[in-house]
Amino acid sequence: MDDPLLSVQDLTVRFRTRAGTVTAVDRVSFDLAEGETLAILGETGSGKSVTAQALMGLLPRPAGQVAGGRIVYDGTDLLARPRSDTRRLNGTDLAMVFQDPLSSLNPVFRVGAQIGELFRRRRGASRSEARRKAIELMDRVGIPAAARRVDDYPHQFSGGMRQRVMIAMAIALQPRVLIADEPTTALDVTVQAQVMALLAELKAEHRMAMILISHDLGVVAGVADRVMLMYAGRVVETGGLREVYETTGHPYTRGLMASIPALDGPRERLVPIKGSPPDLMRLLASCPFQPRCEFATDICGTERPELMPVPARPESHRAACHHAKEVATDVVPG
Amino acid sequence: MSSPADPLLSVRDLHTSFPIRSALLRRKAGAVQAVSGVSFDLPAGRTLGLVGESGSGKTTLARTVIGLAPPESGQVRFDGQDLLTLPGADLRQARRQIQMVFQDPYASLNPRLTVEQIISEAWLINPGVVPRDRWATEVRDLLARVGLNPDHADRYPHQFSGGQRQRVGIARALALRPRLVICDEAVSALDVSVQAQVLNLLADLQAELGLSFLFIAHDLSVVRHISDEVAVMYLGKVVEMGTTEQIFTAPVHPYTQALLSAVPVPRPWASPQRRQIILAGDIPSPMSPPSGCRFRTRCWKAQDRCATEEPALADRLGDHSSACHFPELPATPAGSK
Repeated sequence: MDDPLLSVQDLTVRFRTRAGTVTAVDRVSFDLAEGETLAILGETGSGKSVTAQALMGLLPRPAGQVAGGRIVYDGTDLLARPRSDTRRLNGTDLAMVFQDPLSSLNPVFRVGAQIGELFRRRRGASRSEARRKAIELMDRVGIPAAARRVDDYPHQFSGGMRQRVMIAMAIALQPRVLIADEPTTALDVTVQAQVMALLAELKAEHRMAMILISHDLGVVAGVADRVMLMYAGRVVETGGLREVYETTGHPYTRGLMASIPALDGPRERLVPIKGSPPDLMRLLASCPFQPRCEFATDICGTERPELMPVPARPESHRAACHHAKEVATDVVPG
Repeated sequence: MSSPADPLLSVRDLHTSFPIRSALLRRKAGAVQAVSGVSFDLPAGRTLGLVGESGSGKTTLARTVIGLAPPESGQVRFDGQDLLTLPGADLRQARRQIQMVFQDPYASLNPRLTVEQIISEAWLINPGVVPRDRWATEVRDLLARVGLNPDHADRYPHQFSGGQRQRVGIARALALRPRLVICDEAVSALDVSVQAQVLNLLADLQAELGLSFLFIAHDLSVVRHISDEVAVMYLGKVVEMGTTEQIFTAPVHPYTQALLSAVPVPRPWASPQRRQIILAGDIPSPMSPPSGCRFRTRCWKAQDRCATEEPALADRLGDHSSACHFPELPATPAGSK
C-alpha cells in the first residue's frame, strides 16, 4: 500500500489552565490518503477542532502544547521541524477553512487584497497579477460579479459569500490537504448545501484530500469517505462512512444517531444519551463514556478500551469499546 | 373568555418594520420590512413551528407577539383580547401568560444572580402570582420539573453546563405559569445528545401543563419532531402553512421543497429518490424586497407573472395554504423535485 499523504500518530495535546492541565486530544491516530475525505465528528469539547489546530500548527500558545505523537506529512514529521518550516507549508500543502468567516477575515482590507496577498507574499506576484488571480478565484468559488466585488470589504458580503471568500483563500495555492472546521455551521441550510457542493467540486477538481470537522452527522454523510468520532479527546470509533453509520460499534455513536430527529418516517420520542458530556478536568482513566453508557459493565470502570475491530469489517472499522461486538450486533431501537 | 374552539393566539396581517436612519441627519432613509402581513392561529395545547432562514422575520414575529417590537399594523389576539390595543393593567395580566425561552443559554441568564434569584425575579416583577414565603419551595419544584437538582437553587449560571442552563431558562419561563411559551431557537445552541433531552422535556411539559408552543427554529428535523403545524417564512412572509405531515410530505411551494431537500440526512443512501435542489444566490435584502413574489429571484419556476403579481397565501391544491402561482406537489415525497 502507498504511504498515506498525512499520517497522525498518537497525537496528544494538553492545555495548561489556571485550574490545571487538560488533555484536549488524547493519543489520536489516523491516516489520510490523497483525494480522500475524512470527517472528524464530535460534540463541544471532544477535541476535534484542537486536532485541526495542531495539524496546522495553530494551537494557541503558550497554553496549548503538543505533548506527544507525530504528524507525518508526505514523509516528514511536521512536529520535528522548526515552526517557520511549518508555516511555509500552510497554504501550499495544508490549508484551512474556519467556521466563522466574519472573524477570520480582516474587516479593514478589501477581500481582493486579502486573497491576492497570498500570491504576493508566497508567489512573488505583482499587484496587478495578484488582483487578477483573486478575481479568477472569486469567480471559481461562485461569487457573482467577481470583477466588481473584488474591491468590496468583508462586511459587504453575506455569510455564504464570505465563506466562499475563505474557501477561495484556502485553495488559492492549491493545497494537497484542505482542513475545513465546521465550514457551514454558521450558514443557513440552503446556503450550506451550496457550500458543501462547492467543496465537493473543488476536491474532485484538484484531487485534494479533505478533513471535514463537524458536529453534524448529516452534513458529512454526503461527502465523507471515512468518519472518525471523538469523545473527550479520544477517538471512539473510526471506519468507512456506511460501516460506522450502519453497523455502529460504539454506544456513543449509537446515542448520537438516536438523538437526531428524523426528517421522514414516524415521529417517535427521541432516545437521548443520558447525562452530560464529561468535564475534561476530571476525566476517568477508564472509559470516558462509561457514566452515560447503557452497555457499561465492571470492566468499563477500570480499564481504558483501545480501538478494536468491529466484526463485520474488522480491517477498516474499529471502536474503542469493550462491548463493541455486542453494540454492533444489537438491533438499534426505533 | 374565549370558547375552547377559539385559538389561544391569533395573529392577523401583522406588519413590523425597523426604520433605517441616515448617518448624517438621522432622517428616516428607509425601512426593513421584517414582518409583512403574517397571519396564523395557534390553538391551546398545540405547537406551531416557524421555520425560515436568517432574515425571514421569524424572530421579529416572535418579538412582536411578546411585545418586544412594536408592530406597524395588524392584530395579535391572545385568549380573545387584542394585545395591541389592551390598556396597561390588562396587558400586563395577558403578557404574563406569554413567556419566552431564548437561544443562547450563556447570554440569557444574568451571571451575577443565583438560579433562585433568576427564577423568582419574575414574581418580584409580577406580584400576586406566588406569595413571597412560597418562593423557595416553588423554585425547588420548578427545578425538579425541568430535571435539575432542586438543591442547586443557590448556584450561579456558570456552574451549569449549556443544557442545564437551558433548563434554567425553561424553569424561568414557567415561573409565571404561562399558557404560551415562545421558544426562539431554544435548542439550536445545544449539542445533539443534549438537544434530544431538552426536546423530550418540552414535550413532557406540554403534556403535563397544556402549554402552547410557538417554536422557532432553522433545523427542520427538530421542527418536524415537535410541531403539530408548521409555517414556512421567507423574507417576512409566510409562503406555506399546514400540518406537519402536509408540509413535510407534500410541500407545494418551491421554497419549502428546496429547503427540505437541502437538509442533510445522516443516511442519504436510505432514500435514493431524494434529489437536492440547490438554490442560486442569497436571500435578498429585506430593505428592498423583490416585486411580486419575494422568492422569484431564486426560484427555478419563476415567470413574468411572478414579478408583477404577488401570490396570496391561499389554499391552492385543496389541502393546505401556499403562496405560489405555480404550486405543484413534489414528484416523489420528502421534498425532491
